[in-house]
Amino acid sequence: MEKREDGGGAEAAVFSPAEIEYVNYGGEHHLPLIMGLVDDELSEPYSIFTYRYFVYLWPNLSFLAFHKGKCVGTVVCKMGEHRNTFRGYIAMLVVIKPYRGRGIATELVTRSIQVMMESGCDEVTLEAEVTNKGALALYGRLGFIRSKRLFRYYLNGVDAFRLKLLFPRPDPLLSINSNESHNHSDHPQDVYSELHHNVQ
Amino acid sequence: MADERDDARETRASLPLSIPSGDQTVWADASPLIAAACNDLQDGELVHGENFSLFAAMSALEIMDPKMDAGIESNGYRSVDEAIENGTAPLPLSSDSTVDVQCVIDIMDHLLACEATWHKGHSLAQTVFSCIYLLKIERTSAHVLLHSYCRIIRATCNAVISTVSDARTHEEEDLFTMAYGLPLKGEGDDKCLSILNSVEETISRQLRACKALNYKKKVLEDIDPLQANPDLEDGYCRALLCRIRFRKHFYHVLMCMRKSQGRGLELARKHIALCLSELSSIAKSQEFLRSNVCVSHQDDVEEGTTASGCQPVGFDASLNSRYSAPTPPRAIQILSWKRAIEYFEKLLHDLDIICSFSLEPMLEDVLHFVVQFQESQPDLVARAHLQLLLVQDGKLYGRDFFYDVISKAIALPSFARDPEFQKNEFVVQLIQLVVNLLKILCTNAAWQRRKLGKILQDWSLFSIQLELALKREFGDMLKALVDENVCLKVSKHLLTWAEEQTYWIAARFLMLGFKLELYSPNEYCMVYWYLYIILMRLLDKMQVRLSNRGDSRKKGKKKRDVSKDLTRDMIVSSPSCLLLKCYLSLSEGLAMMLAALHNESKVFEMPNVFNNEQERFIQHFELLQKAHVPDQISYFLFKESTKHALIPIIIKHNYFREAQRVSTSLKGSFSSDPQRMQELRQIEQVAEHNKIALNVINKVGTRDPSLIVSFEFTHHPVFAVAVVKRS
Repeated sequence: MEKREDGGGAEAAVFSPAEIEYVNYGGEHHLPLIMGLVDDELSEPYSIFTYRYFVYLWPNLSFLAFHKGKCVGTVVCKMGEHRNTFRGYIAMLVVIKPYRGRGIATELVTRSIQVMMESGCDEVTLEAEVTNKGALALYGRLGFIRSKRLFRYYLNGVDAFRLKLLFPRPDPLLSINSNESHNHSDHPQDVYSELHHNVQ
Repeated sequence: MADERDDARETRASLPLSIPSGDQTVWADASPLIAAACNDLQDGELVHGENFSLFAAMSALEIMDPKMDAGIESNGYRSVDEAIENGTAPLPLSSDSTVDVQCVIDIMDHLLACEATWHKGHSLAQTVFSCIYLLKIERTSAHVLLHSYCRIIRATCNAVISTVSDARTHEEEDLFTMAYGLPLKGEGDDKCLSILNSVEETISRQLRACKALNYKKKVLEDIDPLQANPDLEDGYCRALLCRIRFRKHFYHVLMCMRKSQGRGLELARKHIALCLSELSSIAKSQEFLRSNVCVSHQDDVEEGTTASGCQPVGFDASLNSRYSAPTPPRAIQILSWKRAIEYFEKLLHDLDIICSFSLEPMLEDVLHFVVQFQESQPDLVARAHLQLLLVQDGKLYGRDFFYDVISKAIALPSFARDPEFQKNEFVVQLIQLVVNLLKILCTNAAWQRRKLGKILQDWSLFSIQLELALKREFGDMLKALVDENVCLKVSKHLLTWAEEQTYWIAARFLMLGFKLELYSPNEYCMVYWYLYIILMRLLDKMQVRLSNRGDSRKKGKKKRDVSKDLTRDMIVSSPSCLLLKCYLSLSEGLAMMLAALHNESKVFEMPNVFNNEQERFIQHFELLQKAHVPDQISYFLFKESTKHALIPIIIKHNYFREAQRVSTSLKGSFSSDPQRMQELRQIEQVAEHNKIALNVINKVGTRDPSLIVSFEFTHHPVFAVAVVKRS
């Protein structure tokens, strides 16, 4: 896969970061834009119902990035109870090639994580291909750890990392001395977890 | 889904006649109703129901979406019969006997490539069973050569599937053993070897006849040649013989390895050697095979799936694609013929390693062996065989009861072999833990690490419970047999041993994280620090166990004059302890070096957008902390013990020189074990490079902005080497 720096190559778009407009998912008219981006950039197959599941139930966690009216990136997420934890999940993250390497993906995903944190999530998870260096670096910078490796996770036979971001607990003493877990890290693969990320 | 579409089509034609509609119901054509409903729905709309949520809707597959619809008609044949009718898999393959033989060899080669691809984790349907001849094996019966080869392939697939499903490693074998809809079982496959033998015999005779002819000798027996061209007879006979013999010996290998109690291992090794020799003949046959086909038909040598470079006749992967429904179709690239041969060579070497291991080992050696075996990343088939051999009928190699294996490991006194004692719940539990551990160690690294993290809890719980019960139940039960002091001692031995295993598992858990690339450089410091803590405890428990053993030996031999100091020396200088000390020094050295770099120059700074280092610590060691492995270890202890680390202090401590010193002293003990010697060399390399790096860093000064330090795993998979550069 290509590296993030490729975004600065011949086909890179010329724009100032201030020109990028970030908007929350605003309704059915955004759906074709999201689907168009993800279908083109990610190899895993999703039906329209997969998108609907996410954007109908958690519209506040999905964002789109526009440049001069053109949708150039999107993030789709969910959150919910998972084994006694309130957990955020980043399902899809895409920025189209000419716009990569300029912090758009970071901004999109940061906005989602921010909402998750404010909504009381304990942690955020996602899966990324082990070969997707761009995505791994992006999430690493945001504080995600690689909690486990999933053997031949994707349909194309590539392994995945499960990445996790743990939010600090409100009471610092609790997190220092606690030996009990607040999350369980070994769970069967979720139905929705065959989703991945392309931001390189 | 496409399957349903087809079903629907058939239903209309035949089902109402053959299936009774039941009481008070009649068959009716629902097509108009469904058509009307469909017309009312826009693209992407669903009929809602109470028990049909948005979540459930996600499982829907879109018909005719090439990414999703496994049954999509891609202009291919709709059935095997249709493919055959259209001449996709002709029989004979050609009216020209030379071309016929060429084609059969291509099929054999492509099947080998398919088999390797299957072993590497793709579905049987899309690989081996993409062969139309194999799908309709009875068609081939007149073509003895092809028929015998198809039969042995099918029998081999069955043998491999049964091994992998018996091992039940619950990892990637779901896809591996999935054979739904495939004609995998057929009558007469038990005779596949005898059919193959007779084909081999015929071709051997043809080869002999051809040789005789070449030397102008009189042909002793009247035999038809393999094919029409006398110049090519020798080459084709040889090319076929090595391929047939490889199949024969490979099948024998699989059969021998499944013999109970490891009885077939010696014979398996002989067949492995023969397999390897045939494989090398197969590889050598390429030159001949390529020279006899038109260049324009040849694929790239590196990428082609046959030795000749020609496309094989009679394969169509799309025919079975529906069997993979309801999952979406998987992209699949058949391995090249060259890679397939390499795969089988590796598999055979891995199997040979398994066969050559001692059948009466100490448990410690078994654990070491499995870990060592995993270093070369053996694939599923080899790992499944190892697991089945190790744990057979609840016995090690099907020979020794695990109770005996464990008591040998702990050096329990002989009275503890009393059957009553063996029924003790702790003993039973411990056996279960050991069996489970062995099975887990045979799985792929990713799965293994997750499972090891989980069973840490079980081991730790076991130790806690045993400790609680130490004086109570255990004592009561054994009182009748021997005096209480001895009982206490036995229980303590069990406890020490279980704790030692727990730390061993924890160390392996942490080390596997490096191999799986789970740690980023700014986390190395905490991981090496934690590893150092674990290894310290492990060394401690190991020494206690060895001293226990020393005590019992001393008593056994009644050498009361042996001084305690001598025993202690023996323990401290035991190779296992010394090797552990090497790891200990490396872990401590690396943790402190990384901490010093962080303290002095703020390199490997942690990102802190949403959380801090503490959260990362909690996450990485969550399973260890949950299992209290060890107790009292916290992020603050980590910070406390690393915050004063500075480069000059680390140099003064000489962690790396210590690792070198101990490793050098170990060479004598490991001189007969090449793998351990290699490990020692790696340790020395890591120590040496880091020692130099530390000195360079110290000389340049960590505050020099041009200094760039990175860590690489060029000399050891777990212990990194600092690479110092200046920008």
